[in-house]
Amino acid sequence: MEGILKAVFSAMDALLPFAFAEAGFMKRALLALMLVAPAAAAVGVPLVQFRMAFFSDAIGHSAFTGVALGVVLGVSPTWTMAAFGALVAVAIVLVKGRTDLSTDTVIGVFFSTAIALGIAIISREKGLTRNLQSFLYGDPLAVSDAEIAWMAGLLLLVAVYLLITYNRILLLGIHEGFARTKGVPVRAVEVSFALVTALVVTTAIRTVGILLVTALLVIPAASARNLARGAASAFRISVGIAALSGFTGLVASYYLDTATGATVVLAAAACFALTAAAKGLRRNG
Amino acid sequence: MSGDACHHTLEIRNLTVRKGGREILSGVDADIRCGEVTALIGPNGAGKTTLLQAILGQVPYDGEIRFCRSPEHGEGTPRIGYVPQHLDFDRETPLTVLDFFALSAQRRPVFLGISAAARRSARESLERAGVAHLLDHPLGRLSGGELQRVLFALALRDAPDILLLDEPVSGVDLAGGEQFCEFLSQVHRDSRFSLLLVSHDLSVVTRHADRVICLNRRIVCQGATTEVLTAENLASMYGEDAHLFRHSHADGHGHIHEHRERNG
Repeated sequence: MEGILKAVFSAMDALLPFAFAEAGFMKRALLALMLVAPAAAAVGVPLVQFRMAFFSDAIGHSAFTGVALGVVLGVSPTWTMAAFGALVAVAIVLVKGRTDLSTDTVIGVFFSTAIALGIAIISREKGLTRNLQSFLYGDPLAVSDAEIAWMAGLLLLVAVYLLITYNRILLLGIHEGFARTKGVPVRAVEVSFALVTALVVTTAIRTVGILLVTALLVIPAASARNLARGAASAFRISVGIAALSGFTGLVASYYLDTATGATVVLAAAACFALTAAAKGLRRNG
Repeated sequence: MSGDACHHTLEIRNLTVRKGGREILSGVDADIRCGEVTALIGPNGAGKTTLLQAILGQVPYDGEIRFCRSPEHGEGTPRIGYVPQHLDFDRETPLTVLDFFALSAQRRPVFLGISAAARRSARESLERAGVAHLLDHPLGRLSGGELQRVLFALALRDAPDILLLDEPVSGVDLAGGEQFCEFLSQVHRDSRFSLLLVSHDLSVVTRHADRVICLNRRIVCQGATTEVLTAENLASMYGEDAHLFRHSHADGHGHIHEHRERNG
Protein backbone atom coordinates (compact mmCIF):
# COMPACT_ATOMS: atom_id res chain seq x y z
CA MET A 1 0.00 0.00 0.00
CA GLU A 2 2.71 2.46 1.06
CA GLY A 3 4.74 1.59 -2.03
CA ILE A 4 1.79 2.21 -4.34
CA LEU A 5 1.01 5.54 -2.70
CA LYS A 6 4.65 6.63 -2.95
CA ALA A 7 4.64 5.87 -6.67
CA VAL A 8 1.36 7.74 -7.10
CA PHE A 9 2.71 10.75 -5.22
CA SER A 10 5.87 10.97 -7.32
CA ALA A 11 3.74 10.71 -10.45
CA MET A 12 1.67 13.60 -9.13
CA ASP A 13 4.83 15.61 -8.54
CA ALA A 14 5.75 15.15 -12.19
CA LEU A 15 2.27 15.94 -13.49
CA LEU A 16 1.47 18.83 -11.15
CA PRO A 17 4.58 20.95 -10.61
CA PHE A 18 2.60 23.64 -8.78
CA ALA A 19 2.81 25.09 -5.31
CA PHE A 20 -0.59 23.79 -4.28
CA ALA A 21 0.40 20.18 -4.95
CA GLU A 22 3.67 20.25 -3.06
CA ALA A 23 2.53 19.28 0.41
CA GLY A 24 1.79 15.62 1.11
CA PHE A 25 -1.60 16.43 2.62
CA MET A 26 -2.60 18.24 -0.57
CA LYS A 27 -1.66 15.20 -2.66
CA ARG A 28 -3.71 12.99 -0.38
CA ALA A 29 -6.64 15.40 -0.56
CA LEU A 30 -6.50 15.46 -4.33
CA LEU A 31 -6.30 11.69 -4.50
CA ALA A 32 -9.21 11.34 -2.08
CA LEU A 33 -11.38 13.71 -4.12
CA MET A 34 -10.48 12.01 -7.41
CA LEU A 35 -11.52 8.66 -5.93
CA VAL A 36 -14.67 9.72 -4.11
CA ALA A 37 -16.23 12.43 -6.28
CA PRO A 38 -16.52 10.30 -9.46
CA ALA A 39 -17.92 7.36 -7.49
CA ALA A 40 -20.52 9.64 -5.90
CA ALA A 41 -21.42 11.20 -9.25
CA ALA A 42 -21.79 7.78 -10.91
CA VAL A 43 -24.23 6.60 -8.26
CA GLY A 44 -25.87 10.02 -8.40
CA VAL A 45 -27.17 9.55 -11.96
CA PRO A 46 -29.68 6.79 -11.13
CA LEU A 47 -30.22 8.35 -7.69
CA VAL A 48 -31.57 11.49 -9.32
CA GLN A 49 -33.70 9.44 -11.69
CA PHE A 50 -35.19 7.64 -8.69
CA ARG A 51 -35.80 11.04 -7.04
CA MET A 52 -33.79 9.78 -4.08
CA ALA A 53 -31.89 12.94 -3.12
CA PHE A 54 -33.68 12.98 0.21
CA PHE A 55 -32.65 9.37 0.79
CA SER A 56 -29.02 10.29 0.34
CA ASP A 57 -29.48 13.21 2.73
CA ALA A 58 -31.02 10.90 5.32
CA ILE A 59 -28.09 8.48 5.09
CA GLY A 60 -25.67 11.38 5.36
CA HIS A 61 -27.30 12.72 8.48
CA SER A 62 -27.64 9.32 10.10
CA ALA A 63 -23.88 9.00 9.68
CA PHE A 64 -23.68 11.58 12.45
CA THR A 65 -25.18 8.98 14.77
CA GLY A 66 -22.82 6.37 13.32
CA VAL A 67 -19.84 8.50 14.33
CA ALA A 68 -21.23 9.08 17.82
CA LEU A 69 -21.77 5.33 18.23
CA GLY A 70 -18.22 4.63 17.09
CA VAL A 71 -16.73 7.02 19.63
CA VAL A 72 -18.88 5.66 22.44
CA LEU A 73 -18.09 2.04 21.57
CA GLY A 74 -14.42 2.78 21.00
CA VAL A 75 -14.52 1.59 17.38
CA SER A 76 -13.21 3.55 14.40
CA PRO A 77 -15.99 5.91 13.28
CA THR A 78 -15.27 5.01 9.64
CA TRP A 79 -16.67 1.54 10.30
CA THR A 80 -19.61 2.47 12.50
CA MET A 81 -20.59 5.26 10.15
CA ALA A 82 -20.67 2.91 7.16
CA ALA A 83 -22.42 0.16 9.10
CA PHE A 84 -25.05 2.46 10.58
CA GLY A 85 -25.65 4.16 7.23
CA ALA A 86 -26.13 0.76 5.57
CA LEU A 87 -28.51 -0.30 8.33
CA VAL A 88 -30.68 2.81 7.93
CA ALA A 89 -30.62 2.43 4.12
CA VAL A 90 -31.81 -1.16 4.16
CA ALA A 91 -34.42 -0.40 6.82
CA ILE A 92 -35.88 2.39 4.70
CA VAL A 93 -36.06 0.21 1.58
CA LEU A 94 -37.66 -2.71 3.41
CA VAL A 95 -40.25 -0.59 5.23
CA LYS A 96 -41.04 1.37 2.08
CA GLY A 97 -41.95 -1.89 0.31
CA ARG A 98 -44.36 -2.91 3.06
CA THR A 99 -46.41 0.20 3.64
CA ASP A 100 -48.70 2.56 1.75
CA LEU A 101 -46.88 5.57 3.19
CA SER A 102 -45.05 7.72 0.69
CA THR A 103 -41.31 7.27 0.41
CA ASP A 104 -40.39 10.67 1.80
CA THR A 105 -42.58 10.05 4.84
CA VAL A 106 -40.80 6.76 5.55
CA ILE A 107 -37.42 8.41 5.08
CA GLY A 108 -38.50 11.30 7.31
CA VAL A 109 -39.34 8.92 10.14
CA PHE A 110 -36.03 7.06 9.99
CA PHE A 111 -34.03 10.18 9.39
CA SER A 112 -35.29 12.00 12.48
CA THR A 113 -35.12 8.89 14.65
CA ALA A 114 -31.49 8.36 13.72
CA ILE A 115 -30.58 12.00 14.37
CA ALA A 116 -32.42 12.01 17.70
CA LEU A 117 -30.47 8.93 18.75
CA GLY A 118 -27.23 10.64 17.77
CA ILE A 119 -28.03 13.79 19.72
CA ALA A 120 -29.03 11.74 22.76
CA ILE A 121 -25.70 9.93 22.69
CA ILE A 122 -23.68 13.11 22.21
CA SER A 123 -25.47 14.92 25.01
CA ARG A 124 -24.31 12.20 27.40
CA GLU A 125 -20.70 12.18 26.19
CA LYS A 126 -19.48 15.70 26.74
CA GLY A 127 -16.14 15.36 25.01
CA LEU A 128 -17.65 14.27 21.71
CA THR A 129 -18.50 17.57 20.10
CA ARG A 130 -15.00 18.41 18.92
CA ASN A 131 -14.69 15.00 17.34
CA LEU A 132 -17.80 15.61 15.27
CA GLN A 133 -16.62 18.87 13.72
CA SER A 134 -14.55 17.20 11.03
CA PHE A 135 -17.48 14.98 10.09
CA LEU A 136 -19.94 17.85 9.87
CA TYR A 137 -17.81 19.93 7.53
CA GLY A 138 -15.50 17.27 6.09
CA ASP A 139 -11.76 17.58 5.96
CA PRO A 140 -10.07 16.14 2.91
CA LEU A 141 -6.78 17.70 4.02
CA ALA A 142 -6.66 15.27 6.94
CA VAL A 143 -7.31 11.95 5.18
CA SER A 144 -4.96 9.18 6.11
CA ASP A 145 -3.35 6.59 3.84
CA ALA A 146 -5.73 3.98 5.22
CA GLU A 147 -8.69 6.15 4.28
CA ILE A 148 -7.34 6.56 0.76
CA ALA A 149 -7.12 2.79 0.49
CA TRP A 150 -10.74 2.56 1.67
CA MET A 151 -11.77 5.12 -0.95
CA ALA A 152 -9.96 3.25 -3.72
CA GLY A 153 -11.77 0.10 -2.64
CA LEU A 154 -15.06 1.98 -2.75
CA LEU A 155 -14.43 3.26 -6.27
CA LEU A 156 -13.63 -0.26 -7.40
CA LEU A 157 -16.76 -1.61 -5.74
CA VAL A 158 -18.95 1.06 -7.35
CA ALA A 159 -17.41 0.40 -10.76
CA VAL A 160 -17.98 -3.35 -10.57
CA TYR A 161 -21.48 -2.92 -9.15
CA LEU A 162 -22.57 -0.49 -11.85
CA LEU A 163 -21.01 -2.59 -14.62
CA ILE A 164 -23.23 -5.45 -13.56
CA THR A 165 -26.40 -3.65 -12.51
CA TYR A 166 -26.61 -0.27 -14.20
CA ASN A 167 -29.08 -1.28 -16.94
CA ARG A 168 -31.37 -2.97 -14.46
CA ILE A 169 -31.29 0.01 -12.10
CA LEU A 170 -32.34 2.37 -14.89
CA LEU A 171 -35.07 0.02 -16.09
CA LEU A 172 -36.42 -0.22 -12.56
CA GLY A 173 -36.44 3.57 -12.46
CA ILE A 174 -38.90 3.64 -15.37
CA HIS A 175 -41.53 1.22 -14.09
CA GLU A 176 -41.36 -1.57 -11.55
CA GLY A 177 -43.86 -3.96 -13.13
CA PHE A 178 -42.39 -3.45 -16.55
CA ALA A 179 -38.87 -4.06 -15.24
CA ARG A 180 -40.09 -7.27 -13.66
CA THR A 181 -41.31 -8.62 -17.00
CA LYS A 182 -37.84 -7.91 -18.37
CA GLY A 183 -36.28 -10.10 -15.69
CA VAL A 184 -35.11 -7.44 -13.24
CA PRO A 185 -34.89 -8.84 -9.68
CA VAL A 186 -36.61 -5.78 -8.24
CA ARG A 187 -36.05 -6.24 -4.53
CA ALA A 188 -32.41 -7.29 -4.91
CA VAL A 189 -31.66 -4.28 -7.09
CA GLU A 190 -33.41 -1.89 -4.68
CA VAL A 191 -31.61 -3.19 -1.62
CA SER A 192 -28.17 -3.41 -3.25
CA PHE A 193 -28.47 0.08 -4.71
CA ALA A 194 -29.45 1.48 -1.31
CA LEU A 195 -26.47 -0.29 0.27
CA VAL A 196 -23.99 0.96 -2.31
CA THR A 197 -25.40 4.47 -1.98
CA ALA A 198 -25.00 4.28 1.79
CA LEU A 199 -21.35 3.25 1.42
CA VAL A 200 -20.68 6.04 -1.05
CA VAL A 201 -22.37 8.64 1.13
CA THR A 202 -20.62 7.63 4.33
CA THR A 203 -17.25 7.57 2.59
CA ALA A 204 -17.79 10.87 0.82
CA ILE A 205 -18.56 12.50 4.18
CA ARG A 206 -14.84 12.40 4.89
CA THR A 207 -14.27 14.85 2.03
CA VAL A 208 -17.19 17.30 2.10
CA GLY A 209 -18.91 16.57 5.39
CA ILE A 210 -22.37 15.49 6.47
CA LEU A 211 -24.01 18.79 5.59
CA LEU A 212 -22.84 18.79 1.99
CA VAL A 213 -22.50 15.15 1.07
CA THR A 214 -25.72 14.96 -0.95
CA ALA A 215 -24.38 17.72 -3.20
CA LEU A 216 -21.58 15.42 -4.33
CA LEU A 217 -24.11 12.86 -5.57
CA VAL A 218 -26.78 15.17 -6.89
CA ILE A 219 -25.14 18.26 -8.42
CA PRO A 220 -22.96 16.51 -11.04
CA ALA A 221 -25.90 14.33 -12.12
CA ALA A 222 -28.19 17.36 -12.25
CA SER A 223 -25.63 19.30 -14.32
CA ALA A 224 -25.25 16.36 -16.69
CA ARG A 225 -28.99 16.46 -17.34
CA ASN A 226 -28.64 19.98 -18.65
CA LEU A 227 -26.38 18.77 -21.43
CA ALA A 228 -27.02 15.08 -22.03
CA ARG A 229 -29.63 13.61 -24.34
CA GLY A 230 -28.89 9.95 -23.78
CA ALA A 231 -27.94 7.60 -20.96
CA ALA A 232 -24.28 7.24 -21.92
CA SER A 233 -23.54 10.96 -22.14
CA ALA A 234 -25.43 11.66 -18.90
CA PHE A 235 -23.22 9.21 -17.05
CA ARG A 236 -19.97 10.38 -18.57
CA ILE A 237 -20.70 14.08 -18.12
CA SER A 238 -21.71 13.52 -14.50
CA VAL A 239 -18.47 11.70 -13.68
CA GLY A 240 -16.43 14.25 -15.61
CA ILE A 241 -18.00 17.20 -13.81
CA ALA A 242 -17.36 15.53 -10.46
CA ALA A 243 -13.66 15.08 -11.21
CA LEU A 244 -13.40 18.61 -12.54
CA SER A 245 -15.07 20.19 -9.52
CA GLY A 246 -13.00 18.04 -7.15
CA PHE A 247 -9.82 19.33 -8.75
CA THR A 248 -10.77 23.00 -9.20
CA GLY A 249 -12.42 23.11 -5.76
CA LEU A 250 -9.27 21.86 -4.05
CA VAL A 251 -6.99 24.24 -5.95
CA ALA A 252 -9.32 27.19 -5.36
CA SER A 253 -9.53 26.43 -1.65
CA TYR A 254 -5.72 26.45 -1.48
CA TYR A 255 -5.42 29.91 -3.00
CA LEU A 256 -8.57 31.39 -1.42
CA ASP A 257 -7.87 29.84 1.97
CA THR A 258 -11.42 28.47 2.26
CA ALA A 259 -12.77 25.14 3.56
CA THR A 260 -11.98 22.52 0.91
CA GLY A 261 -15.22 20.51 1.08
CA ALA A 262 -17.38 23.59 0.69
CA THR A 263 -15.23 24.96 -2.13
CA VAL A 264 -15.54 21.68 -4.03
CA VAL A 265 -19.32 21.85 -3.72
CA LEU A 266 -19.26 25.48 -4.89
CA ALA A 267 -17.23 24.44 -7.92
CA ALA A 268 -19.85 21.78 -8.70
CA ALA A 269 -22.59 24.39 -8.27
CA ALA A 270 -20.76 26.63 -10.75
CA CYS A 271 -20.78 23.72 -13.23
CA PHE A 272 -24.50 23.42 -12.70
CA ALA A 273 -25.02 27.12 -13.37
CA LEU A 274 -22.92 26.96 -16.53
CA THR A 275 -24.68 23.89 -17.91
CA ALA A 276 -28.07 25.37 -17.08
CA ALA A 277 -27.11 28.52 -19.00
CA ALA A 278 -25.90 26.40 -21.92
CA LYS A 279 -29.21 24.55 -21.92
CA GLY A 280 -31.11 27.83 -21.93
CA LEU A 281 -29.06 29.15 -24.82
CA ARG A 282 -29.58 25.97 -26.82
CA ARG A 283 -33.31 26.06 -26.26
CA ASN A 284 -33.64 29.71 -27.26
CA GLY A 285 -31.02 29.74 -29.99
CA MET B 1 -55.39 -22.34 -34.45
CA SER B 2 -55.00 -26.00 -33.54
CA GLY B 3 -57.72 -26.00 -30.92
CA ASP B 4 -56.96 -29.34 -29.22
CA ALA B 5 -53.26 -28.87 -28.66
CA CYS B 6 -53.81 -25.53 -27.01
CA HIS B 7 -53.68 -25.39 -23.23
CA HIS B 8 -55.12 -22.70 -21.10
CA THR B 9 -52.23 -20.34 -20.83
CA LEU B 10 -53.06 -18.84 -17.51
CA GLU B 11 -55.22 -20.32 -14.78
CA ILE B 12 -56.12 -18.24 -11.78
CA ARG B 13 -57.62 -20.15 -8.89
CA ASN B 14 -59.11 -18.74 -5.71
CA LEU B 15 -56.92 -15.66 -5.85
CA THR B 16 -57.15 -13.30 -2.91
CA VAL B 17 -55.11 -10.12 -2.53
CA ARG B 18 -55.07 -8.00 0.62
CA LYS B 19 -53.64 -4.54 0.98
CA GLY B 20 -53.49 -2.86 4.36
CA GLY B 21 -55.95 -5.36 5.86
CA ARG B 22 -58.57 -4.88 3.12
CA GLU B 23 -59.41 -7.52 0.57
CA ILE B 24 -58.86 -5.99 -2.84
CA LEU B 25 -59.61 -9.22 -4.64
CA SER B 26 -61.37 -12.22 -3.18
CA GLY B 27 -61.68 -15.74 -4.49
CA VAL B 28 -60.99 -14.91 -8.12
CA ASP B 29 -61.17 -17.85 -10.54
CA ALA B 30 -60.40 -17.03 -14.14
CA ASP B 31 -58.82 -18.47 -17.25
CA ILE B 32 -56.95 -16.66 -19.92
CA ARG B 33 -56.93 -18.98 -22.87
CA CYS B 34 -54.19 -19.59 -25.30
CA GLY B 35 -54.24 -17.34 -28.32
CA GLU B 36 -57.42 -15.56 -27.30
CA VAL B 37 -58.12 -11.96 -26.47
CA THR B 38 -59.56 -11.77 -22.99
CA ALA B 39 -60.91 -8.44 -21.81
CA LEU B 40 -60.89 -7.56 -18.14
CA ILE B 41 -63.55 -4.99 -17.32
CA GLY B 42 -64.94 -3.51 -14.15
CA PRO B 43 -65.58 -0.19 -12.44
CA ASN B 44 -62.84 1.96 -10.94
CA GLY B 45 -61.37 0.35 -7.85
CA ALA B 46 -62.54 -3.10 -8.94
CA GLY B 47 -59.03 -4.48 -8.61
CA LYS B 48 -58.16 -4.79 -12.29
CA THR B 49 -54.67 -3.37 -11.95
CA THR B 50 -54.16 -5.39 -8.77
CA LEU B 51 -54.99 -8.55 -10.70
CA LEU B 52 -52.32 -7.65 -13.25
CA GLN B 53 -49.86 -6.95 -10.44
CA ALA B 54 -50.57 -10.37 -8.95
CA ILE B 55 -49.94 -12.02 -12.32
CA LEU B 56 -46.67 -10.11 -12.56
CA GLY B 57 -45.68 -11.19 -9.04
CA GLN B 58 -45.64 -7.59 -7.88
CA VAL B 59 -48.03 -8.06 -4.96
CA PRO B 60 -48.30 -10.98 -2.55
CA TYR B 61 -51.43 -13.11 -2.89
CA ASP B 62 -53.19 -16.23 -1.65
CA GLY B 63 -54.40 -18.78 -4.13
CA GLU B 64 -52.83 -19.96 -7.31
CA ILE B 65 -51.74 -18.51 -10.61
CA ARG B 66 -50.66 -21.31 -12.93
CA PHE B 67 -48.98 -20.82 -16.24
CA CYS B 68 -49.37 -23.55 -18.79
CA ARG B 69 -47.58 -23.57 -22.06
CA SER B 70 -48.84 -25.09 -25.25
CA PRO B 71 -46.35 -27.64 -26.62
CA GLU B 72 -45.95 -25.81 -29.91
CA HIS B 73 -44.40 -22.92 -28.02
CA GLY B 74 -41.71 -25.13 -26.51
CA GLU B 75 -40.69 -25.73 -22.91
CA GLY B 76 -40.01 -23.47 -19.98
CA THR B 77 -41.90 -20.77 -18.13
CA PRO B 78 -43.97 -18.54 -20.35
CA ARG B 79 -42.74 -15.07 -21.09
CA ILE B 80 -45.02 -12.29 -19.96
CA GLY B 81 -45.19 -9.01 -21.77
CA TYR B 82 -46.69 -6.01 -20.05
CA VAL B 83 -47.72 -2.54 -21.13
CA PRO B 84 -48.52 -0.48 -18.06
CA GLN B 85 -51.21 2.18 -18.05
CA HIS B 86 -49.23 5.04 -16.58
CA LEU B 87 -45.52 5.48 -16.63
CA ASP B 88 -44.92 7.72 -13.69
CA PHE B 89 -41.24 8.17 -14.43
CA ASP B 90 -39.08 11.25 -14.38
CA ARG B 91 -39.84 12.95 -17.72
CA GLU B 92 -36.54 14.79 -17.69
CA THR B 93 -34.55 11.60 -17.39
CA PRO B 94 -31.74 11.52 -19.97
CA LEU B 95 -32.79 8.35 -21.78
CA THR B 96 -33.58 7.90 -25.45
CA VAL B 97 -35.96 5.30 -26.81
CA LEU B 98 -32.88 3.41 -28.05
CA ASP B 99 -31.35 3.49 -24.55
CA PHE B 100 -34.62 2.21 -23.15
CA PHE B 101 -34.58 -0.78 -25.50
CA ALA B 102 -30.89 -1.42 -24.84
CA LEU B 103 -31.42 -1.61 -21.07
CA SER B 104 -32.95 -5.07 -21.48
CA ALA B 105 -31.16 -6.09 -24.69
CA GLN B 106 -27.48 -5.92 -23.81
CA ARG B 107 -25.37 -6.95 -20.87
CA ARG B 108 -22.96 -4.10 -21.36
CA PRO B 109 -24.03 -1.15 -19.22
CA VAL B 110 -25.47 1.62 -21.40
CA PHE B 111 -22.85 4.12 -20.19
CA LEU B 112 -20.29 2.14 -22.19
CA GLY B 113 -22.35 2.57 -25.34
CA ILE B 114 -25.07 0.73 -27.23
CA SER B 115 -24.13 -2.48 -29.02
CA ALA B 116 -24.83 -2.80 -32.74
CA ALA B 117 -27.08 -5.79 -32.05
CA ALA B 118 -29.17 -3.85 -29.54
CA ARG B 119 -29.54 -0.97 -31.99
CA ARG B 120 -30.61 -3.31 -34.77
CA SER B 121 -33.15 -5.14 -32.64
CA ALA B 122 -34.57 -1.86 -31.31
CA ARG B 123 -34.97 -0.50 -34.82
CA GLU B 124 -36.69 -3.70 -35.99
CA SER B 125 -39.11 -3.74 -33.07
CA LEU B 126 -39.99 -0.08 -33.55
CA GLU B 127 -40.47 -0.59 -37.27
CA ARG B 128 -42.91 -3.38 -36.62
CA ALA B 129 -44.89 -1.03 -34.40
CA GLY B 130 -44.70 1.70 -37.03
CA VAL B 131 -42.66 4.11 -34.91
CA ALA B 132 -39.09 3.66 -36.17
CA HIS B 133 -38.71 7.44 -36.34
CA LEU B 134 -38.78 7.60 -32.52
CA LEU B 135 -35.52 5.63 -32.10
CA ASP B 136 -33.40 8.58 -30.98
CA HIS B 137 -36.10 10.60 -29.25
CA PRO B 138 -35.89 11.20 -25.50
CA LEU B 139 -38.30 8.82 -23.78
CA GLY B 140 -39.73 11.54 -21.54
CA ARG B 141 -40.74 13.72 -24.48
CA LEU B 142 -43.03 11.21 -26.20
CA SER B 143 -46.77 11.81 -26.36
CA GLY B 144 -49.11 9.35 -24.64
CA GLY B 145 -49.79 7.51 -27.88
CA GLU B 146 -46.14 7.35 -28.87
CA LEU B 147 -45.09 6.06 -25.48
CA GLN B 148 -47.77 3.38 -25.72
CA ARG B 149 -46.44 2.24 -29.09
CA VAL B 150 -42.87 2.18 -27.80
CA LEU B 151 -43.81 0.15 -24.74
CA PHE B 152 -45.84 -2.17 -26.88
CA ALA B 153 -42.94 -2.62 -29.30
CA LEU B 154 -40.63 -3.41 -26.40
CA ALA B 155 -43.09 -5.87 -24.86
CA LEU B 156 -43.43 -7.65 -28.21
CA ARG B 157 -39.69 -7.75 -28.87
CA ASP B 158 -39.24 -10.67 -26.51
CA ALA B 159 -42.04 -12.69 -28.15
CA PRO B 160 -44.31 -12.96 -25.12
CA ASP B 161 -46.63 -15.90 -24.62
CA ILE B 162 -48.97 -13.72 -22.60
CA LEU B 163 -49.36 -10.01 -23.08
CA LEU B 164 -50.98 -7.84 -20.42
CA LEU B 165 -52.27 -4.49 -21.62
CA ASP B 166 -53.51 -2.05 -19.00
CA GLU B 167 -55.98 0.46 -20.50
CA PRO B 168 -54.20 0.62 -23.86
CA VAL B 169 -56.34 3.45 -25.25
CA SER B 170 -56.60 5.68 -22.21
CA GLY B 171 -54.60 8.87 -22.57
CA VAL B 172 -54.70 8.50 -26.35
CA ASP B 173 -57.12 10.44 -28.51
CA LEU B 174 -60.00 8.68 -30.21
CA ALA B 175 -58.37 8.31 -33.62
CA GLY B 176 -55.13 7.14 -32.00
CA GLY B 177 -57.10 4.62 -29.98
CA GLU B 178 -58.79 3.22 -33.10
CA GLN B 179 -55.44 3.00 -34.83
CA PHE B 180 -53.86 1.23 -31.89
CA CYS B 181 -56.68 -1.32 -31.74
CA GLU B 182 -56.40 -2.06 -35.44
CA PHE B 183 -52.68 -2.48 -35.04
CA LEU B 184 -53.17 -4.66 -32.01
CA SER B 185 -55.50 -7.10 -33.74
CA GLN B 186 -53.18 -7.30 -36.71
CA VAL B 187 -50.17 -8.11 -34.52
CA HIS B 188 -52.24 -10.56 -32.56
CA ARG B 189 -53.30 -12.38 -35.74
CA ASP B 190 -49.66 -12.72 -36.73
CA SER B 191 -48.09 -13.82 -33.49
CA ARG B 192 -50.88 -15.47 -31.47
CA PHE B 193 -49.98 -14.63 -27.93
CA SER B 194 -52.68 -14.68 -25.30
CA LEU B 195 -53.81 -11.20 -24.63
CA LEU B 196 -55.30 -9.86 -21.43
CA LEU B 197 -56.73 -6.47 -22.09
CA VAL B 198 -57.86 -4.20 -19.28
CA SER B 199 -60.27 -1.66 -20.68
CA HIS B 200 -62.91 0.82 -19.73
CA ASP B 201 -64.00 1.16 -23.27
CA LEU B 202 -66.75 -1.34 -23.99
CA SER B 203 -66.70 -0.60 -27.71
CA VAL B 204 -63.07 -1.74 -27.80
CA VAL B 205 -64.01 -4.80 -25.80
CA THR B 206 -66.95 -5.84 -27.98
CA ARG B 207 -64.92 -5.42 -31.12
CA HIS B 208 -61.70 -7.12 -30.09
CA ALA B 209 -62.25 -9.54 -27.24
CA ASP B 210 -63.09 -13.21 -27.55
CA ARG B 211 -63.93 -13.51 -23.91
CA VAL B 212 -64.73 -11.10 -21.12
CA ILE B 213 -64.02 -11.25 -17.42
CA CYS B 214 -66.14 -8.85 -15.36
CA LEU B 215 -64.45 -8.01 -12.11
CA ASN B 216 -65.61 -6.11 -9.10
CA ARG B 217 -63.34 -7.33 -6.33
CA ARG B 218 -64.69 -10.77 -7.19
CA ILE B 219 -65.69 -12.28 -10.49
CA VAL B 220 -69.09 -10.94 -11.49
CA CYS B 221 -69.26 -13.07 -14.61
CA GLN B 222 -67.07 -14.38 -17.39
CA GLY B 223 -67.54 -16.00 -20.76
CA ALA B 224 -67.83 -15.30 -24.46
CA THR B 225 -68.11 -11.59 -25.16
CA THR B 226 -71.64 -11.69 -26.60
CA GLU B 227 -72.97 -13.77 -23.73
CA VAL B 228 -71.40 -11.73 -20.98
CA LEU B 229 -71.98 -8.19 -22.10
CA THR B 230 -75.67 -8.03 -21.32
CA ALA B 231 -77.45 -5.07 -19.84
CA GLU B 232 -78.15 -7.06 -16.67
CA ASN B 233 -74.53 -7.98 -16.06
CA LEU B 234 -73.38 -4.46 -16.72
CA ALA B 235 -75.97 -3.08 -14.34
CA SER B 236 -74.94 -5.46 -11.59
CA MET B 237 -71.33 -4.48 -12.06
CA TYR B 238 -71.45 -0.76 -12.70
CA GLY B 239 -74.65 -0.08 -10.78
CA GLU B 240 -76.38 3.14 -11.71
CA ASP B 241 -73.64 4.11 -14.11
CA ALA B 242 -74.55 1.26 -16.42
CA HIS B 243 -76.52 3.48 -18.77
CA LEU B 244 -73.26 5.26 -19.57
CA PHE B 245 -72.04 2.12 -21.24
CA ARG B 246 -75.14 1.00 -23.02
CA HIS B 247 -74.58 2.96 -26.17
CA SER B 248 -71.18 1.47 -26.72
CA HIS B 249 -72.54 -1.93 -25.84
CA ALA B 250 -75.02 -1.75 -28.68
CA ASP B 251 -72.38 -0.58 -31.15
CA GLY B 252 -69.97 -3.19 -32.15
CA HIS B 253 -71.74 -6.51 -32.16
CA GLY B 254 -70.98 -6.97 -35.83
CA HIS B 255 -67.28 -7.41 -35.46
CA ILE B 256 -66.29 -9.86 -32.83
CA HIS B 257 -62.71 -10.92 -33.17
CA GLU B 258 -62.18 -13.58 -35.80
CA HIS B 259 -60.73 -16.14 -33.38
CA ARG B 260 -64.11 -16.51 -31.82
CA GLU B 261 -65.67 -18.10 -34.83
CA ARG B 262 -62.79 -20.48 -35.26
CA ASN B 263 -62.81 -21.51 -31.66
CA GLY B 264 -66.54 -21.71 -31.37
